[in-house]
Amino acid sequence: MLMASCSKNSTPSPIVDPPTYSVPTTYNFSNANFADATTRLGMYTEISNLMKNALTGTFDATKAKAMLTNTGAPFATAAYNTSNIQLADQFSSGFKADVNNFIDSLAKASNAYPTAASRGVAGVGVSNANAATIYAETSLGLNYAQVFNKGLMGGLVTYQIVTTMDAIANQTIDNKTVVNGETAMEHAWDMAFGYWGVPIDFPTNKTGAKLWGSYSTQVDAGYHANQILMDAFLKGRAAISAKDNATFVAQAKIIITTMERLTGAAALQEVQETKAAISDPVVRNSRMSEMYGFVYSLKYNPKRVITDAQYNALLALFPAKTFWDLTLDQVNAIRDAVANQYGFNDVKDIL
Amino acid sequence: MKKIAFLVLIAASTFTLIQSCSKSGNSTPDKNNGSSFDRGAMLTNISTNIILPGYTAYQADAVTLDAAVTTFNTTPNAINLTAAQNAFIATYKAWQSVSMYEFGPAAAIQLQVNTNTFPASVDVINANITSGTYNPALLSNLPAKGLPALDYLLFGTGADNTAILAQYTTDSQAAHRKTYLATLTTEVKTNATTVLNQWTASYKTTFASNTGTDAGSSTSLLVNQLIYDYENLKNYEIGVPAGVQTSGQALPAKVQAYYSKISLALAKLHLQAVQNLYMGASGQGLDDYLVFVKAQYNGGSLNDAITAQFATSLAKLNGLTDPLSANIISNQAAVTATYTELQKLTVLLKTDMTSSLGILITFGDNDGD
Repeated sequence: MLMASCSKNSTPSPIVDPPTYSVPTTYNFSNANFADATTRLGMYTEISNLMKNALTGTFDATKAKAMLTNTGAPFATAAYNTSNIQLADQFSSGFKADVNNFIDSLAKASNAYPTAASRGVAGVGVSNANAATIYAETSLGLNYAQVFNKGLMGGLVTYQIVTTMDAIANQTIDNKTVVNGETAMEHAWDMAFGYWGVPIDFPTNKTGAKLWGSYSTQVDAGYHANQILMDAFLKGRAAISAKDNATFVAQAKIIITTMERLTGAAALQEVQETKAAISDPVVRNSRMSEMYGFVYSLKYNPKRVITDAQYNALLALFPAKTFWDLTLDQVNAIRDAVANQYGFNDVKDIL
Repeated sequence: MKKIAFLVLIAASTFTLIQSCSKSGNSTPDKNNGSSFDRGAMLTNISTNIILPGYTAYQADAVTLDAAVTTFNTTPNAINLTAAQNAFIATYKAWQSVSMYEFGPAAAIQLQVNTNTFPASVDVINANITSGTYNPALLSNLPAKGLPALDYLLFGTGADNTAILAQYTTDSQAAHRKTYLATLTTEVKTNATTVLNQWTASYKTTFASNTGTDAGSSTSLLVNQLIYDYENLKNYEIGVPAGVQTSGQALPAKVQAYYSKISLALAKLHLQAVQNLYMGASGQGLDDYLVFVKAQYNGGSLNDAITAQFATSLAKLNGLTDPLSANIISNQAAVTATYTELQKLTVLLKTDMTSSLGILITFGDNDGD
């Protein structure tokens, strides 16, 4: 009811052509199935916890890599071990090439414990504002747990969503034959929704939102991606089932555009986080690593609008030698470039 | 990394979905027969009667400090040292009244951290003095600049003024130290002047005319920074030194103005400045706004609750003594009890006030994940 009172898109306007159908207000399609996407996000959470909790020289890079390929029953959740699915074969080729380096870099910093992270010295650093905030950082000040995290958001989640949406926009996925209760196109769409990582009654309910599901909320004050994405996912899925081709193609394109802009918005949000920690070097470096991770991950998006030249120019704005030598002007230059690229000039300081 | 951004509207029954649909807070719910609070008048009052006089006084003190250091460097003697120290104390006191305006011109140059990142790093300061090189743009120099670094240079480089004076006369690094001292006071002065000039020239108008309550509006910026700065007061001037984040292990050297030993005096001025802003001095302020929207707290007026908690907090501070670093050691419980009262005020301001006014908290808590 609330949804109807304020969302512009979800109220079905009279459809001109034969297909008449209603768009639900939650992702409760009777034949929806995105369990595999949910399982993969769960696998990611275990890797993330391994990274977060391994700040005393015990980070097990071999185990983290085994988790990526689901080799040797590495997960605490037994069902993951026997799921016959894995993360790594869903990665974009670019992320697949980078991911082991990210993990090894983190291990190098983490295993330097108890050496404290400082300029030129890899180790584990403590916030000067809150002793409970601890990060493993390389000698250049990069927290690769964050670069990995943001890389996975780009190289798995965005990559899967965008690739699927592109195929659906081009109608190269079958929408006739029903297998296991749904067509291939319905299932592909469901998986994309599952990768977003939100509950089916999002954004009314935000419980358990993960990765992009969490970030789309974090930037929502300046960029209302929550509603844009939820509306598009609901409308598109209803349209697929109703064979309303024009509508699901349009929604798929909205999602493609939104995923890239959302990455820009998330980078801007990290600009604010970096500034909030500006006098706290270890934390500042970690926030910068998040920002860098988002920007770097843009290249994993096969449908990105940003050109290679623009992408390289953006990366070149980060401190050339080490994050320890960051200046405010550099942070602002990154902010301005991202805001320009993605049309966020009006909201660049409030995302 | 988790950004704590919550929006709670006074009509609490219209829950979360509002967040994604309501763009502007211009329709802040008021229960006053359809008329709305004149935020423009409040903003004009605050900028004219509080912010601009605050910056004017602070900038004047910063100019005096820089001149006093120039005099001291030319003629380093006991009288000129005392004059520089006194000018420093006046500047640090004046700073307490302007630290909460970290938006617009101040945010553009990150005035807050450039002026008052404490505790100062004696290691970084001494490294800069010894090397004779200093890049003010490097964020790694934040703990080696501004008022905390000057606090160390003017009060902490020796056990007494005779010993301090020697650091600027007979010490092998005396020349470098004088240069560094002058560089820092000039930077403080320049930053103060930049911000004051921008407020006077144009931002005063920008500020008063941006009358909405959505993120980025003047009221939102003001409320957010008031709370952010108040939390800095509570956490870094009182809580952290008293050991509230370290399981009771006191960290007295982390107080503001550790070397000049005026920590408590500054904290009181700071709290009074926050309260003065809240009240709009003698004109329209956030208190009037809360009264206007009939904000309630436990069956009474929210403004009454906030006003009472300001008084309780100040009374607690008045029960402590300078040097605060010594008081933390002699009576840690009293300092911790003060922190507890300050924390109660945080809740009233950050949760109850913002929800009553429909203001979104836009700054992140660095809880990390």
